[in-house]
Amino acid sequence: MIRFFLSRLALTIPTFVALTFLTFVAIRLVPGDPVEVRVGEHGISPERLAMFRHQLGLDQPVWRQFTDYGWGLLHGDFGTSLSTSGKVLTEFLTLFPATVELSACAMLFAIVLGIPMGVFAAVKRGTWADQALMGLSVTGYSMPIFWWGLLLIMLVAEQWHLTPVSGRIDLIRFDYDTPTGFMLIDSLLSDEPGAFLDALHHLVLPTIVLGTIPLAVVARMTRSSMLEVLSEDYVRTARAKGLSPFRVVGVHALRNALIPVTTVIGLMIGSLLAGAVLTETIFSWPGVGHYLIEAISRRDYPALQGGIMLVSTVVILVNLLVDVAYGVVNPRIRHGR
Amino acid sequence: MTALKMIGIGLAAVLLGSTAVSAKTLVFCAEGSPENFTPALNTTGTSLDAARPVFDQLVEFERGSTTLKPGLAESWIISPDGKTVTFKLRQNVKFGATREFKPTRDFNADDVLFSFHRQSDEQNPYFKVSGGKYDYYNDMDMPKLLTSIAKTDDHTIVMTLSEPNVAILANLAMDFATIQSAEYADYLLKKGKPEQFDQVPVGTGPFVFASYQKDAVIRFKANPAYWGGKPAIDDLVYAITPDPTARVSKLKTGECQVAPFPRPADIPELQNDPNLNVLSQPGLNIGYLAFNAAKPPFDKKEVRQALSMAIDRKAIITQVYGQSGQMAKNLIPPTMWAFNDKVTDYPFDPAKAQALLKDAGVSGPLDIDLWYMPVQRPYNPDAKRMAEMMQSDLAKVGVNAKLVTYEWGEYRKRLQNGEATAALFGWTGDNGDPDNFFFFLGCIDGKPAASNVGKWCDPTFNANLAKARQANDQAERTRLYGEMQVIEHDQEPVLNIAHSLVYEPVRKEVVDFKMSPLSRQQFDGVDLK
Repeated sequence: MIRFFLSRLALTIPTFVALTFLTFVAIRLVPGDPVEVRVGEHGISPERLAMFRHQLGLDQPVWRQFTDYGWGLLHGDFGTSLSTSGKVLTEFLTLFPATVELSACAMLFAIVLGIPMGVFAAVKRGTWADQALMGLSVTGYSMPIFWWGLLLIMLVAEQWHLTPVSGRIDLIRFDYDTPTGFMLIDSLLSDEPGAFLDALHHLVLPTIVLGTIPLAVVARMTRSSMLEVLSEDYVRTARAKGLSPFRVVGVHALRNALIPVTTVIGLMIGSLLAGAVLTETIFSWPGVGHYLIEAISRRDYPALQGGIMLVSTVVILVNLLVDVAYGVVNPRIRHGR
Repeated sequence: MTALKMIGIGLAAVLLGSTAVSAKTLVFCAEGSPENFTPALNTTGTSLDAARPVFDQLVEFERGSTTLKPGLAESWIISPDGKTVTFKLRQNVKFGATREFKPTRDFNADDVLFSFHRQSDEQNPYFKVSGGKYDYYNDMDMPKLLTSIAKTDDHTIVMTLSEPNVAILANLAMDFATIQSAEYADYLLKKGKPEQFDQVPVGTGPFVFASYQKDAVIRFKANPAYWGGKPAIDDLVYAITPDPTARVSKLKTGECQVAPFPRPADIPELQNDPNLNVLSQPGLNIGYLAFNAAKPPFDKKEVRQALSMAIDRKAIITQVYGQSGQMAKNLIPPTMWAFNDKVTDYPFDPAKAQALLKDAGVSGPLDIDLWYMPVQRPYNPDAKRMAEMMQSDLAKVGVNAKLVTYEWGEYRKRLQNGEATAALFGWTGDNGDPDNFFFFLGCIDGKPAASNVGKWCDPTFNANLAKARQANDQAERTRLYGEMQVIEHDQEPVLNIAHSLVYEPVRKEVVDFKMSPLSRQQFDGVDLK
């Protein structure tokens, strides 16, 4: 098992190197310069421009900038944001809990609704219920996040007043420290009555928006995996033994059907973080997605580079864990068979 | 007795509760997060707005206008030669406190010296802190203009200028000239964390900084010791809401009371909302088409005039600006005191344009490059669309315009190097002084400055520009600027297109909120019903 883990870990190293290089180059291919982008119609004198470019190391050849950056990374230094002058790693860690909280809720939403939907559709294969659920799932999958978010804000929050428009907490009623960065936890620690429920209330819309695509994927994946499992011999045997349909589907079939679903859930962490970029912007959610958008518009190379690296690190690590977990569940994978 | 006690406790609870509820909290839906809280380091309105509640300047703009009034300097005297300005500082002004720093003294001249030395003196320990880019200080030419700054006593500051320039007072009312606490700076330096100076602000302003959660919220408390009187609202909250649709929704649901920068498409709906007041005013800006007077045939004013008459600006205003634009006939907006309303605008007259071109010796089709900005600017929401409309108009008078654009930084650089023949560009005023507009058509020693993208020089225009900087009398300055507008109109180095209209919706419970011509957000003096 340890050998399997180490071999998987070793595979991530070239991925990191390639990722660092690609991120570094891609950012520099975007037109615009971090110094000039902050200069308006006033312009900037060539002397000042040269001075700031020198200060930021932008006058160095790209290969030199890359090796300097790589050296910093090896020492745990992700650089300093050009716009805020804060350490990228510190800023990222401040904002990351908000993204994790939202992503976790979205994933929970997708799993809690998606799996029963998929199972139900599989059991009721070919019926109107199956077709309706799968039709909904295709709709959910093809829904542009931006449009879906704005629609829900206008309808649910603005027209029906069922949820707040955006943010993480009612800023007028509650004012407390956020030591963990997880609003649900901090609201419980705050001892402010009603804060936890308010934080939950604020999570409703962004969770639905971010969780819709994963929900659709989980539902469809569960359905197809269940259909495959339901036609297996051991399921027929279980039925023949006289087990209740609930036990056959819920215990014997579902447990096996969930293996590929688990893998897909792990792989979806990446797309979830990509979706968080848009969701966080729409819902004023102070996470790393919004941080990256700001970094792009400000051509904040270190923030953008560091942010992408850190997000990618999380995705790679989650996938590594999924690989390992899968190896634990299925020994054939572990032994390369 | 027990029952009475219970009633008493109940009443106390209700009273306490009502006290807590009666605290007035105003929520402003800010469009973004600040880079930091030191205005001298920043250029974006978002960052400057975030720091403004905490700070004051020596001279200040009256709320909702560009009229200057005493700030931390209660008075000033300009020497007869115009080169020395002596400021008498206000006394008994308190700085706010933070969780770990409690000021031990009142504001004095050392704070003024520190605030300017940080930006000008490379030996100042804070000069390089937080990147040390003092863009506005440099953009306003302060290193050249401000020869020295010194204190004669704890409450008197003397500034010596390299040349007389009355616009210095307007410069000093800008955010970059904010006065910060020298004592706080020393304290943090001794603690070994000077960068905190720009993250946790300490100032003399109407509000005291309470907390900031990145990308989420900034909180301020009313400063009870504010020299201008405690603000009417107790708590000021900036809810950071980058998406304009979410800002509008939050405003409608009452989650915030003031929301800047609505999308033009939302304005009619906002105007129909009975709970909202949609304030508007012309922005202090100008969008224009610059002709390069250094390149034939634009060296002839008749050609420049002809092209101006060939372009249907009314259609451009309707199509490009919608409800958010006002046609411009002068370089400065009509809200400025130096505006010359006697100037008669060029009509849209393609026939006359063709005749003028013929008179100027332009026969046959004229090929030009027409540059347009790749980005949206406050004075021009869609430069590409505007350029396309101009291209179509110009084709009708025999001018073939090839549309050209570059990445924004490259665009500005090439434009300022004089590479364009005709280019869309513009300006947003910094301080409300007319000099801050006319300077960009100015020349230095007979050569156009980099900002003069039309590369046009007129001796009388430049002489007036210099005289207006030295004249203390506003009537005299108005006369000089009036003449300059006539010259500019006659010579037509640029075709003035539009001043954008700025909208700011506020909820009706907000009392006495004033829009600033400089697009500043300011909340002292604001109350809630």
